[in-house]
Amino acid sequence: MTDPRGARRLSADAAVDEPFTFVLDGEPIPACHGETIATALLAAGRRTLRRTAKRDDPRGLYCVMGVCWECAVLIDGQTVRACVTPAAPGLSVETVRGRAERRA
Amino acid sequence: MIETDLAIVGAGPAGLAAAGEALARGLSVTLLDDNPLPGGQYFRQPPAALTRAARMPHDAEHRRAEALFRAIEHPRLRLLSGAVVWDAPEPGVLAFARGADSGRVRAASIIVAAGAIERAVPFPGWTLPGVMTAGGVQNLIKSQRILPGRRFLVVGNGPLLLVVASSILRAGGTIVEVVESASLVRAWRHVPRLLTAPDILRRGLGYRAALVRARVPVRYGATIIEARGDDAVAEAVIAPIDVTGRVDRVHTRTVSVDTVVAGFGLTPSVELTRLLGCRHRWDVRRGGWIPARSADFETTMPGVFAVGDGAGIGGAEVALAEGRLAGLLAAVRLRRCDEGAVASDVRTLRARIARLHRVRDTIVNLWTPPATFLALATPETVVCRCEEVTARDIASIVDEGDAGVEPIKAATRVTMGRCQGRNCAAAVSEMLASARGVALADVELPRARPPARPIPLGDLLHEPLPPPRPPEMSLP
Amino acid sequence: MTTSAPLPSEIDVAVVGAGVQGLSTALFLARAGRDVIVFERGDPWREASGVNAGSLAIQNKRLPLVPFAREALRLWAVFQQELGDVGFVPAGGLKVAESEDDVGRLRESADQQRALGLELEWLEGESLRRRAPWLGSGVVAATFCADDGFAIPLLAGRVLMEAVRKAGGTIWPHTPILTIAAAGERLRVETSRGTVHCRTLVIAAGVWSGEIAQLLGVTLPVNLDVNMLTITEPAGPVMDRIVTHVRGVLTLKQYPNGTCMIGGGWQGRGDVATRQKDLDYESLLHNVRVAAAIVPGLAPLHLVRSWAGLEGATADLLPLLGRLPGHPNVFVTACARGGFTLGPVLGRLLAELIVHDETSMPIDAFDPARFAR
Repeated sequence: MTDPRGARRLSADAAVDEPFTFVLDGEPIPACHGETIATALLAAGRRTLRRTAKRDDPRGLYCVMGVCWECAVLIDGQTVRACVTPAAPGLSVETVRGRAERRA
Repeated sequence: MIETDLAIVGAGPAGLAAAGEALARGLSVTLLDDNPLPGGQYFRQPPAALTRAARMPHDAEHRRAEALFRAIEHPRLRLLSGAVVWDAPEPGVLAFARGADSGRVRAASIIVAAGAIERAVPFPGWTLPGVMTAGGVQNLIKSQRILPGRRFLVVGNGPLLLVVASSILRAGGTIVEVVESASLVRAWRHVPRLLTAPDILRRGLGYRAALVRARVPVRYGATIIEARGDDAVAEAVIAPIDVTGRVDRVHTRTVSVDTVVAGFGLTPSVELTRLLGCRHRWDVRRGGWIPARSADFETTMPGVFAVGDGAGIGGAEVALAEGRLAGLLAAVRLRRCDEGAVASDVRTLRARIARLHRVRDTIVNLWTPPATFLALATPETVVCRCEEVTARDIASIVDEGDAGVEPIKAATRVTMGRCQGRNCAAAVSEMLASARGVALADVELPRARPPARPIPLGDLLHEPLPPPRPPEMSLP
Repeated sequence: MTTSAPLPSEIDVAVVGAGVQGLSTALFLARAGRDVIVFERGDPWREASGVNAGSLAIQNKRLPLVPFAREALRLWAVFQQELGDVGFVPAGGLKVAESEDDVGRLRESADQQRALGLELEWLEGESLRRRAPWLGSGVVAATFCADDGFAIPLLAGRVLMEAVRKAGGTIWPHTPILTIAAAGERLRVETSRGTVHCRTLVIAAGVWSGEIAQLLGVTLPVNLDVNMLTITEPAGPVMDRIVTHVRGVLTLKQYPNGTCMIGGGWQGRGDVATRQKDLDYESLLHNVRVAAAIVPGLAPLHLVRSWAGLEGATADLLPLLGRLPGHPNVFVTACARGGFTLGPVLGRLLAELIVHDETSMPIDAFDPARFAR
């Protein structure tokens, strides 16, 4: 939250409903009820949400309305769009890996 | 199979308005929407927990939204939120995916109110994290209560740039610049027509004034030509557009930003009307391909109606009015109310829609961009985000000559990823049009195929079905 | 492409249809020194050859076709090596059985196929789970054929077209055939772009082959199959073999880019005349349900696209390969169930027949005369 380039929760000053954490690739990510996975990741300073299969390029939120699938992450082996999927306590989220890891 | 008088696809302004009217006139309505909550992009509801935490402003927009939501609280409404309409297997039937509740709905009438998506315009660096659409940033601020960066460049075309810029300022962000492709020369000529829509004029001037107060420079007749950075946007290159519409790549400037908000206007979501078999026509002023409609909004497929931005970009006011009118007409058509009883409402709505369209046309005229302003991709630019296809990859097939959209898809995999072409199909059409020397309207659309949107295979395992007719068994 | 050049007035061989049969025939004929033109009514490789599942399977073929499928797999490997990337992956294939009845059939077909020299491994219980832990619990037995595999139709088309051109052949897209008439020893073929005289005509027009034969007054009954296919989003490893089903209701494979292709010959609706093809909703759902039962790892994946392709079929489900009765200069290769797999070998055999008047494998069972009237 101290990164001057980072995203900022607008509700940070208000009393936030029961903050909780979910897990991204084994790391805890703080979130508030009502937030999507993408919002929590943005607030945690994660702009790169996945790497591409061919070029290993970083990708992040683009359309933010469920159209472009750039924010794809994995939950229980299913691809979901982080921008429309609510964060939930205890959720285990994996990033879609790029070229290097895919081949491994 | 769900049986209903009226199936409405999309719970944005148009769909909600249609549902409210139809319910009030006695129809049973099934409202399908792929978001968790109704409202669409315009009346997007923040989840309850965020609203409580953030004390959302209760402005006029909210009161209107709440009136719409109240109007559909009705025993004859079946609201299927989180439902993705993915196929139209036979006339009057829609298939939807909704986890274990997936299935089909059969309706006497169908209203498609599918809304719009942001027009994706490829430019070098547009795939870097930190480049987002204007509508997307508006969503993040309005309904997720998060400002996605600190130093913003707002670029593109159209009045939405001013809207999102003022949202960013209110949220405490710094805007380095607003860069508008249109030149807005002789804007004064349009003032008389705008005076007929004082609401819109006032709001527009309000947005502009906010930028002036914050000392945000607004440049007209310029565009982004590149976003740069290693793992995220760090800077952006801006270039003027000369009088002939060409981008002047000599007199460029570089600004240091962490977020680029790119808004190049909206384009109607027509995947469903296309899948339904409706004929579409090209109308650049309405955002591109739109379903051909009668005066009663009926498409070329009997019983299938299209309203709102999905039938041609017109904005929320047009969507609300078209939705109401379509709801009324559906009730008349299904003989739940007498034509005479609603005649005056129908007249009023038609007049309102006509007036709104005139205002809309003025705004379109005012913000008309140079014809070639979308040609920002260089050969190395990734045009197809899903399959990572560059402009050069596509050009190499286009240059072979003869190739249509389908062979280009086959050779490059462009449009064949998860976004199903929503990010890249337009760019392919533009390249084909320019190679063939024809208008965009003359470039064939790729075939519409289900699913209209990606759906989990697992959703298709639950609907009760009659026994299969398996393929002919292989003979020994 | 080649459409800007003028149409020659004389040619050795005119091939009708730029699918896998026509292009394979053209390739082997051109390599044998024949002057070949391929006429294609629409875009090349756009019908069955371009939109099929890409299976290169031996053990799901009708018994008389097994030797041909084995030879075809060998040719596909050669294509991959010599012509370019056709997406050929010799992944090996599992033909699965779900019930006792299925197991009986599988045993019978395995015995028959082995008698023809095909090497098959019988898998059940522990050996099956070890080999394919990703198969659903309902799969009780499977035969494994190391030679089964797949290619990628989208890649193969461009490679084959390029190979035909390199060998000296030309391909004329968007050039329908209007009339065919005998002109002495030769045939006069009128196309939308002009008229050409050829010594030999090859009909390789898939389900439209009957229409072309009719131009010569021959009735060649061709049935229509409308095969539906569905492809998923790219995913991590789901399966590492191709899968076929003893009852013929499923083909599955995962391409190197992670997408999974689901087929099995479930029928949509189509029309030969308009080339219109539509999916059948309920059959499509049954198809993906069989797929998810056999490979449960498919269930979480998103489906991205479904489509249907028009394929020709004969009453005995064997190909049409040989001379058109009554027309010694007109040959047919079409309507093979499993035509993508078999295309290269059928093309080579037809080229042999045209050039040498004999073939290296017996093709009497495929003689078009068995149906032609």
